[in-house]
Amino acid sequence: MGTKEEAQGTLSSTDFGVAASAFILNWNTVCSSFPPWTWVLSHHQVEGYLSLENMLLSSTQEEHGELSCPGRGIHSHQEDPIDVDDATLVHTNPCKVHYYDLHIIYCNSYRVPVLYFRAYDSDGEPLEFDEIEKDLPAYSKKALSDSKWTFITQEEHPYLNRPWYKLHPCGTSEWMKLLFHADDALAKTGVAIELYLVTWLSVVGHVVGLRIPFEMMKQL
Amino acid sequence: MASESIVVFAQFQSAVDEGFWHRLCSLKLNKLGIDDSPIPITGFYAPCSHPQVSNHLTLLADSLPSESNEQSSTAATSGGNRNRCPVPGILYNMNTIESFHALDKKSLLKAEAKKIWDNIHTGKAVEDSAVLSRFLLISFADLKKWTFHYWFAFPALVLDPPATLVDLKRASQYFSLEEAKSVSAACNEWRNSSLTADVPFFLVCIDPNSLATVKHIKDWETCQSDGNKLLFGFYDPCHLPNNPGWALRNFLALISVRWNIMSVRFLCYRENRGFADLGLSLVGEALITVPQGRAAKTGNGLGWRDHQCLPNAVGWEQSKGRQVSRCISLAKSMDPTRLAISAADLNLKLMRWRALPSLNLNALSSMKCLLLGAGTLGCQVARMLMAWGVRKITLVDNGRVAMSNPLRQSLYTLDDCLNGGEYKATAAVKSLSRIFPAVDAEGVVMAIPMPGHPVPSQEEDNVLEDCRRLHDLVDSHDAVFLLTDTRESRWLPTLLCANTNKITITAALGFDSFLVMRHGAGPFSSNDERQRLGCYFCSDVVAPIDSTANRTLDQQCTVTRPGLAPIASALAVELLVGILHHPHGIFADGELANSSSSGSSELPLGVLPHQIRGSLSQFSQMTLVGQSSNSCTACSSTVVSEYRERGMEFIIQAINHPTYLEDLTGLTELMKSASSFKLDWDNDDDDDDDCVEI
Repeated sequence: MGTKEEAQGTLSSTDFGVAASAFILNWNTVCSSFPPWTWVLSHHQVEGYLSLENMLLSSTQEEHGELSCPGRGIHSHQEDPIDVDDATLVHTNPCKVHYYDLHIIYCNSYRVPVLYFRAYDSDGEPLEFDEIEKDLPAYSKKALSDSKWTFITQEEHPYLNRPWYKLHPCGTSEWMKLLFHADDALAKTGVAIELYLVTWLSVVGHVVGLRIPFEMMKQL
Repeated sequence: MASESIVVFAQFQSAVDEGFWHRLCSLKLNKLGIDDSPIPITGFYAPCSHPQVSNHLTLLADSLPSESNEQSSTAATSGGNRNRCPVPGILYNMNTIESFHALDKKSLLKAEAKKIWDNIHTGKAVEDSAVLSRFLLISFADLKKWTFHYWFAFPALVLDPPATLVDLKRASQYFSLEEAKSVSAACNEWRNSSLTADVPFFLVCIDPNSLATVKHIKDWETCQSDGNKLLFGFYDPCHLPNNPGWALRNFLALISVRWNIMSVRFLCYRENRGFADLGLSLVGEALITVPQGRAAKTGNGLGWRDHQCLPNAVGWEQSKGRQVSRCISLAKSMDPTRLAISAADLNLKLMRWRALPSLNLNALSSMKCLLLGAGTLGCQVARMLMAWGVRKITLVDNGRVAMSNPLRQSLYTLDDCLNGGEYKATAAVKSLSRIFPAVDAEGVVMAIPMPGHPVPSQEEDNVLEDCRRLHDLVDSHDAVFLLTDTRESRWLPTLLCANTNKITITAALGFDSFLVMRHGAGPFSSNDERQRLGCYFCSDVVAPIDSTANRTLDQQCTVTRPGLAPIASALAVELLVGILHHPHGIFADGELANSSSSGSSELPLGVLPHQIRGSLSQFSQMTLVGQSSNSCTACSSTVVSEYRERGMEFIIQAINHPTYLEDLTGLTELMKSASSFKLDWDNDDDDDDDCVEI
C-alpha cells in the first residue's frame, strides 16, 4: 500500500485481496466460535469478496403478530386433512432465531471495503431494518445515531443484485486515516495492509454489534 | 423388557433463501412461462451445529436448474461441501393459487414415497443414500404481488406398527471413553474428506479394541465380523435430546428391507464448531416389528418388505404445529416500483445526512405542485421537482406535442408527436410515470383565459368553466409555477394565487436572458402592514433600474437559446425548495446574493432571493428585490377584492375589455404621468416576427 493511499485511509483493490487473505487466516484461527469467513469469487471470477453466512443470533423478540403477507404462516384456506402419524413430533414454538449474512466487498469509487449484511428468520423471510435494529446491542445503536460517519442504507448488492443493507462507506477513509495516523508503529512496520481489515472491522463491527474477539485485536 | 414407547422423529425444517425465489421468478419469466411441469431441484442440509437450534433443509438459488440447460441442478453443484449435503427434490410450481390449493397432496406424496421405495429395492439408495431424504415442494409464485405460497413434504415410509424405542441417550454416555475418542476421530475424518463430506448416511464399525472406522453403507458386508459393534449413522440436523431426525425413518426402512435387520443401533450425528460433538449426538436402539410373511397378502413371505406393497407415507411439513402451507412476501426486495422508491428516498436521505441535516423531506414529498405550461420550462421543472422528492405534480397545457418539441421539452419523444401529436399534459404524465413509477402526476388539457383576447359570446360558458377550473386547481395545490409562453396567460393565475396566498413562482425566457422570481404574499394574507414583495406584473410597473438591460420578457413569441430553459427551470425549483425551508415561507423577505447583512446566509440552503435575472450572453446572473405595487393589475388589493366581490363577472370583463384593468387600478393615470413606460397588453407595438412557440 503506497503511503499516499495509507495517508488517505484507502486501499487499492489488489491490496484489498491481500488484506482479505491475511484476515481470513487470522480470523479462522482465532475466532473458532464464529462461523468462518470465506473468499467468494464473483461470477466473472475476477473480483471477490469476503463472506460470512448463517451467523445465528438467538432473538429475544416475541413472535410478531404482524405478518408480512396475508396468510403468512397460517393459511386460512380449508385444507383437506393430511395424514399424520404418531411417530411425528409436533413442533412446539421453537425459539426465535435470526440469521445474518455478512459480506465485505471492495468499493471502487470510495476505495475502501464496505460491509453489506442482511438478516432473515428461520423460514428465510428477510427481516426489516427495524427488526435488525432491535437485535443490535445498545452501544451499536448509540454509535449509529451519534456518529456522523456511519449510517446504514439499503442498496443493491453489487453481485447478487438484490437489496442488502450496508454501512455507507462515505466516512470510512476519514476514520481509517485517523486510526492509522494514531499508530506510528503500524506505519513503520509496514504491515498496514494485512491489518487494514482487522482495524476496519473493529470500527465497523462496533456499529453493527459484531464484537471482534480480543485475540484479533491484540495485534493492533 | 422393551420400552413401550415408539420412536418419535423430528421433521426436517425447511428454509428457503430469497435467492431461490428470485431465481424461480427469473426462470418463470425467461424460460418456463406457463409451463407447470415438475422441476427437479436440490436441497441442502448439514448436521446440527448448535445445541439449541436445529439445522434446516435449505433451498438456495443454486437449488434450481440454471436457465441455460435442461439438466437437474445436481449436476451444477460441486460435491464435497461439508455444509451442503445435496438432496434431490421435485418442485411443482403452479400458475394460480387455486391450482396450488387443488393439488392432490396425498397422491403427490405417494408418488415421491414410491420413488424412495423403489430406490431402496433396486439398491440405488445404498449407492447414493441421499435419495432417502428426497423431498417435495409445491408452490405458487405470485409475480404481481411478489408473494410466494409454498409447502414442503419430506416423504417418510411408515412402519406399521411403528418402530419402538429401546433406548436413546447421548453418544458420550453410550460409548466408552476410548470408543468415543475413536468414533470422533473417524467421523471427523469422514467429514473432512471431500469424497465423503456430503454423504449423509454411513456405518460406524467398532472393533473389540475400541477402534472405530466409518464406512460407506454399501460396504455393509465388510462390517459383519463377530465382536464388532455396528451403528447406523446419519447426519442429524435436529438438536433435540429426545428425538432423532427425520432422515432416520427411511434409513430404518432401508435397513429393514435390504438387510432384514430388526434391531437397529443408530447414531444421530451432530456437530459443534465443525467437529463431532458426542454430547449433542445421540445413540439409540430401535426395534422394527413389522410383520413378515403375510403370506395371505403377498404370497411370498416378504410381507412389509415386498416391493409391490408400497407402505403408507407421511411428511407434509407442519407450520407452528399445524398442517398448513406457508407464505412469504418479497415485495420489498423484488418489486421494481418499491425498489425505485427506496432508491430515490436513499438519495435524498444521503443529502440530508451528509450535507443538509435540516432538509425537510416530508415537506417536499407532501407538497402539491401545479405547473401551468408543459413546454420547455414545464418539462424541466417537473423533472427537477421529482428529483427533490416531490411526488404530486399537476400539469396544465392545452397544446399537442409538435415535431420540434422533443428536442427542447425533455419529457417528450418522437412517439408523442405522431398522429397529430398527443396532448402535452397527457404525454407528460405518462413520461413522468415511466421515469418514476411512484409519482402522482395528473394532466389537465385546458387553455388559460387571457386578458386582451376577447371571448365571443358563444364561448363564454366554456371560458367561465375554464376559469372556475383554474380557480379550483390553484386552490387544491400548495405551489404554482407559471411556465407559459405569454405574459397575458400569467395574469389570471397570478390573481388567483394572490387571492389564496399560494406560493407562486414565475419563469420567463427572452432570447438569451431569463427571469425567475417568486411572487410575494397576497394582499390580504396577513394583518400587519409589512410591504409585500412584488409579483410578475408588479415588476413591470415598478421598472427595474436598468430598463434596457432587463427588458420586459416574453414577448408574444420568442425563440430562446436552448440552455436557458434548463437553467431557469432549475433555479425555479431551487427557489421553491428555498421557500419551503425558510422560516417565513411565502413571507420571507427578498435577499440579494453576496449580501453581508442578510441573516439568511446562515440558513443551510443559502440566500432566498426575490428575483433572479440571468443573461447567457454575459454568463451572468443577478438578484433583485422588487416591492409590490398598489397599482398592480394582478395582485393589488384593488384587483383582488374586486375579484372576491364579483368573481367570474370581473374576470370576463377584464378579459374582454383591454383597458378595464388599467382603469381599475389607476394605471391609466400612472401611464399618463410616466411616459417612459410602455405597457403592452395587446403587443400591438411589437414586431410581428416569425413566431415560433417555445
